[in-house]
Amino acid sequence: MATPQTSARRSNPRGASLDAAFEILCFAAATTLLASLAGVLVSLTIYGWPAISKFGFGFLTNVTWDPVRDTYGAAGPIVGTLITSAVALALALPVAGGVAFFLVELCPMVLRRPIGTAVELLAGIPSIVYGMWGLFVFAPFFAQNVETPLMAAAPPGTIWETLVQGIPNGSGILAASIILAVMILPFMAATLRELLNSVPTQVRESAYGLGATTAEVVMSVTLPYVRRGAIGAVMLGLGRALGETMAVTFIIGNSHDFPKGLFDSGSTIASTIANEFNEASGLQSAALIALGLVLFVITFVVLALARLLLRRQMEA
Amino acid sequence: MAVSAQIVARRRAANVAFVGFCYVVTAVALVALAMILFSLVTQGVAGLNLNVFTMDTPAAGSPGGLRNAIVGSIEMATLAMVIALLVGVLGGTWLAEYSGKSLYGDVVRFLNDVLLSAPSILIGLFVYAILVKPFGGFSGLAGAVALAMLAAPVITRTTEDVLKLQPIALRESGVALGTPLWRVIQQILWRGSTSGILTGALLAFARISGETAPLLFTALGNQFKDWDHPLKDLTEPMASLPVVIFQDALTPYPDLNRLAWAGALLIAASVLTITILARIFSREQKRS
Amino acid sequence: MSQLAEPETPDVSIGTVDPSRVKLDVQNLDFFYGSNRALKSVSIPFEANAVTALIGPSGCGKSTLLRTLNRMYALYPGQKTTGKIMFDGEDILRPGVNLSMLRARIGMVFQKPTPFPMSIADNVAFGVRLYENLSKADLADRVEESLKRAALWDEVKDKLNTSGLGLSGGQQQRLCVARCIAVKPEILLLDEPTSALDPISSAKLEETVTQLKADYTIIIVTHNLGQAARLSKYTGFMYLGELVEFGETEGMFTKPVTKRGSDYITGRFG
Repeated sequence: MATPQTSARRSNPRGASLDAAFEILCFAAATTLLASLAGVLVSLTIYGWPAISKFGFGFLTNVTWDPVRDTYGAAGPIVGTLITSAVALALALPVAGGVAFFLVELCPMVLRRPIGTAVELLAGIPSIVYGMWGLFVFAPFFAQNVETPLMAAAPPGTIWETLVQGIPNGSGILAASIILAVMILPFMAATLRELLNSVPTQVRESAYGLGATTAEVVMSVTLPYVRRGAIGAVMLGLGRALGETMAVTFIIGNSHDFPKGLFDSGSTIASTIANEFNEASGLQSAALIALGLVLFVITFVVLALARLLLRRQMEA
Repeated sequence: MAVSAQIVARRRAANVAFVGFCYVVTAVALVALAMILFSLVTQGVAGLNLNVFTMDTPAAGSPGGLRNAIVGSIEMATLAMVIALLVGVLGGTWLAEYSGKSLYGDVVRFLNDVLLSAPSILIGLFVYAILVKPFGGFSGLAGAVALAMLAAPVITRTTEDVLKLQPIALRESGVALGTPLWRVIQQILWRGSTSGILTGALLAFARISGETAPLLFTALGNQFKDWDHPLKDLTEPMASLPVVIFQDALTPYPDLNRLAWAGALLIAASVLTITILARIFSREQKRS
Repeated sequence: MSQLAEPETPDVSIGTVDPSRVKLDVQNLDFFYGSNRALKSVSIPFEANAVTALIGPSGCGKSTLLRTLNRMYALYPGQKTTGKIMFDGEDILRPGVNLSMLRARIGMVFQKPTPFPMSIADNVAFGVRLYENLSKADLADRVEESLKRAALWDEVKDKLNTSGLGLSGGQQQRLCVARCIAVKPEILLLDEPTSALDPISSAKLEETVTQLKADYTIIIVTHNLGQAARLSKYTGFMYLGELVEFGETEGMFTKPVTKRGSDYITGRFG
C-alpha cells in the first residue's frame, strides 16, 4: 500500500538572494514619495528666498504688487484665496450635504444608483471645463441678471452699496467663488454620501424605530456618527478650493488689490502664479514662488488636519 | 405620558423643512450640473470637425485643429503613468508588506495622502525648478514628470489598500512552501491584485489627463510638432490639450474660443469614458 | 467518577513513542509574542509516518506550536523561541538554518483554503518550480501524481488550466494539499484543515489524510475531537500554553490520565 517516496533533488529556490534587493527597491520608491513632497517645500523656499529676505514679513501684509518698481506684497492674492475658498465652501457645503442626505435617506431606490453615479462621475470633470463654463456662460448671465440689477438697486451710501461695488462684467470675487463652489460640489457630495452610507443600518433603523423623523435621524444620529469624517471631508474640499487654479483664473478679474466689493476683481495665489510666472524674471519670479510657498503652508496645514480627522474616523 | 401636540407639530414642521431643503438643493445641483454639461456639449460639438483631429493648433484667423495637443497630452499622460506605476506600485508594496508598524511607514503613508491632494500648480513649480530651469528649457518630459507626481500617490494608496485586502493566510502559504518573499509578493500577491491596481491606474490616468496648471511651467506649449519624430519633442516644449484650451479661451478671437470648447468637450468625454470603463471593469472583476 | 490525579508537572507519557521512530522532537520549547509567553516548556515527540493530533481549547497554543515547526513565526519581528526542535538530528531553531529548504521538507496547510491566483496546474507546480528543474513532461507527471494523492485528480483533470479560485471550498483545500505534497516533503502540518469546510468535504479530506499517513509524518491541529479520534495515532492535549497530556489516542480518549484532559474530552469545557 505504501508507495515508496522518491526524494526530490532540490536546490535552493530560485532568486533566494534577491529578497534584500527587492525590499530596498520598494523602500526607495516609498522614500521617493516622501522626498518629492519635501522637495516641493525645499525648492519653493530656496527659489522664493530672494523675495522673502527682501520683504520679510511685510510680504504677507503689503498690498502693492508692482513689477515696474519691483516691490511685491502678497496680501491681495492671499486675501483673495481665503475669501473665495471660504465663500465657495459656505455655498457648496449645505448643497453637498443636502444632496448626500437626499441620496442616503430620501431618494427612491430606483433613482439612487443613477443619481449617485452621476454625482461621482461629475466629480471627475476637469476644472478647466468649469472655468470655461464660468467665463463664457455664467459670467454674461451673472452680469446681466444679478450684478447689474443689484448694483442699480443698492441704496447709495449704505453698506449694500459697498458690498456690490465693482464692475458688472460677470467676473470678480463672488463670481469666482460661485464657480469654485460648483466645482467642489460633486466631490464633497460624493464623499459625504460615502460617509453617511458607512453608518450601520441597525443604528439608523433603531433611530427610526424610536419614532424619529428623517431630519432628526440625520442630524442627531447619522451625522454625529460620522462627525470626524465629515469634518475631514469638508477640509479636503477646502484644501481643493484653496489650491484650485483653472476654475478661478478665468473669472476672478486678476487685480492685485483687495477687492472692494463682491463684484470687484481680485486674485488668488494660484491665479496670480498661473498668469504671471512665465513672463516673470528676477525678483518677480522669486515673489511668485514665495507666494507658492505661502499656499503650500496653508494647504499643508488644512490637508494634514483633514487626513488626521479622516484617519480617526476610519479607526472608530 | 401625553405627548404634547405642540411638540409633535413642531417636529413635523422641522422635518418637512429639512426634507424640502434636501429635495430643492438636489434639484438645484443636478440642474446646474446638467446646464454645464449642456453648454459643454452644444458649444463643443459646434467647434468639432474633422480638422480638429487632422490639423495642428493654429494662430488666430487660420484654420487648424488640436491634433498636436491631443497627441501631446496622450504622450505625456502615458509616460506619466509609466513612472507613476513604477513608483506607486513599489511604494505601495513597501507600505503594505515591509513597513510593519514603523514610524517611518506612518510618516510616508500620511505624507503620501497629503501629496495626493496638494495644489497641482505647486507641483508644476517644483518640477520647473528641477527639470526646466537647470536645463534651460521646457520639455514634454518635465510635463510628464509633473503629471507623474500627481498620479503616483493615487497608485500608492490603491496598491497598499488592495494588497492589505489579501488574506494573511495567502502570504503565509507562499512562505510555507519556502518561497522567497519577493516571489510571494510578485507571483502571488500582485497577481491577485492586478484588477484593483488597474482600476486605480485608469482613474489616475483620467485625472491627470485633465490637469492644466502643472503643465503651464513644464511642458508649456508648442505650435508645431515634428510628425516624423513624434517622440523627439519630449525634450522640447510640448503642446497639451488643457493648456491649449486655457490659452485659446482667453483670446478674444471667436474661432479660437470655438476650438477651446471643442477641446474641453474632448477632455471631458475622454475622462468620463475612462472613468466609466474603470468602474465597469472593477464591477466585472468583483463578480468573477 | 474516580478522583484523577492533578500532577505537579504535566504528565506526559512520552515513553509511548519509540525513540528510534521519532521524526521531529520538540524539546523544552518556549514561545514569546513580545513579552507574552505563549508556549511553556513544551516537549513532545512526533513519530514518523504517523498522525499526531494536537487538541485543546481556543488559545491553548496548539496552532502556535504547529507554526514553530516550520518557523513560520520568522515572518513577524516580535516573535521568538527558546528551546530545541530536533529534525533528523539537527536543531531547526538555531540561527543559520536555511528556512526555504526547511520549508521544502515541512509543508503546511492552513485553516482557510488558500489557492494561488493562477491555474490549478500552476498552483501545484508552483513549489516544484522553485526547487527543481524538471522537464515539461516530468512536471506534468508530478502535478498529476500530487493531485491523485490528494484525491482531486478525477475532479479536475479536464480543467487543469482553469483558475484554482473556481473550485469549491473542499476542492480548494485538497488543491492546497496537492500543492504541498508536490514538493515531496517529509512532514505535513495541518492547521484545522477542515474547520472551514462542509461535512462532506471534511470527510473527503480526512480520507485523504488517512491515505497520506503511510508516506508522511502528519501533525494535525484540530478542534474536532471526533476527528482526532478517527485520524490520529497519538494525541497531545494542550492547555494555556502547556502540554498537559500526551499519549496514544485510543488510550487517551478512553482513559485520560489528567483531570483537565478528562474534562476537555468529556466536553466539560472548551
